[in-house]
Amino acid sequence: MSAEPPGPSTGADEDFFRRLKVLVVEDSAEMQRLLVALLETMGVTRIVVARDGEKGLSAFAAERPDIIVTDGAMMPMNGYEMTRAIRACASGDGANPDVPILMISGHAGREEVAHARDQGVTDYLAKPLSAEMLYEAIVAAVSKPIHFVEKPGYRGPSPKRSLAARRS
Amino acid sequence: MHERRSPSRLAGKEAAETPAEVRFVRVPSIAERKLGSDYVAPMRLDPRILEQMQTTIRDLETQYADALKSQVAMLQVLVEPACKGDADARRRLYALAHDMRGLAGTFGHPVIGQFADSLCRYIEQSQSEDWGDGTVVTFHVDAIRDALENPRTDPTVTMETLNALERLIGATRRQRSAG
Repeated sequence: MSAEPPGPSTGADEDFFRRLKVLVVEDSAEMQRLLVALLETMGVTRIVVARDGEKGLSAFAAERPDIIVTDGAMMPMNGYEMTRAIRACASGDGANPDVPILMISGHAGREEVAHARDQGVTDYLAKPLSAEMLYEAIVAAVSKPIHFVEKPGYRGPSPKRSLAARRS
Repeated sequence: MHERRSPSRLAGKEAAETPAEVRFVRVPSIAERKLGSDYVAPMRLDPRILEQMQTTIRDLETQYADALKSQVAMLQVLVEPACKGDADARRRLYALAHDMRGLAGTFGHPVIGQFADSLCRYIEQSQSEDWGDGTVVTFHVDAIRDALENPRTDPTVTMETLNALERLIGATRRQRSAG
């Protein structure tokens, strides 16, 4: 059996990751450390960390990230509220309200995932997190175009699409 | 640049049901934005990057093991005041269990993650009086401590313990409804 030759197999390669700016919104210090370490291993060098949704929202406006990785349950503003607020932002100030938002949560029941989808989350990752799950979700989020729905009171990924939590 | 599409160009139920004020917008990928519209992203993952990421997790395991030990010790300190009504102790106990639910599995302690998940779900669905008895919370905290001290426990025993916890939770809730 011939082994597959290693090589640049993905468009989202290290060089591409170096250009990405990622905002991590997470209240757990241990989880922050894990996410930052994994992103750095992927080659991401521009990582901004915020410890709740409110600070995440400020960082989104100030830092204009290319992708957001957020926890769900946080105080005082959780990841769902932050997502809703980001999608409702005007893009005129430079921050991109269409930014891919990956939610990582320990609450992976159907209702929580549907709620996240309805707020405009791009993808939902159930804890415990694995390297493969995070890598796959980030590559998919940065590589695939997405169709947004614009209607009164909502702009974001279609709330009618089926969204299942990724699991390790 | 966003491309607006009329509903008729989109397949599926959503397009058929679309009222006039709903629009569909094709949002270019981040890769397209940064590298241009000709960019076609192969979706395969680079096995070398994945392997490095797995190594990163292994490297962090030792650090996490120390944090986990402290967290489990803190759970044991908090369980009594939490069950006696101390709101701050309850909040901190839940926060620790929530952390374990999210991280223990990633760092090679899946059993602790399962017990912590069961404890979190119990607390999330609890009313204040559920804490009073304390049996369910104490049982969970003991199970977490045992799992930390005996990481090689037979998975059958773990399953039995989880089932016993489920039965205990059910019995406690039935008792509350009846009482």
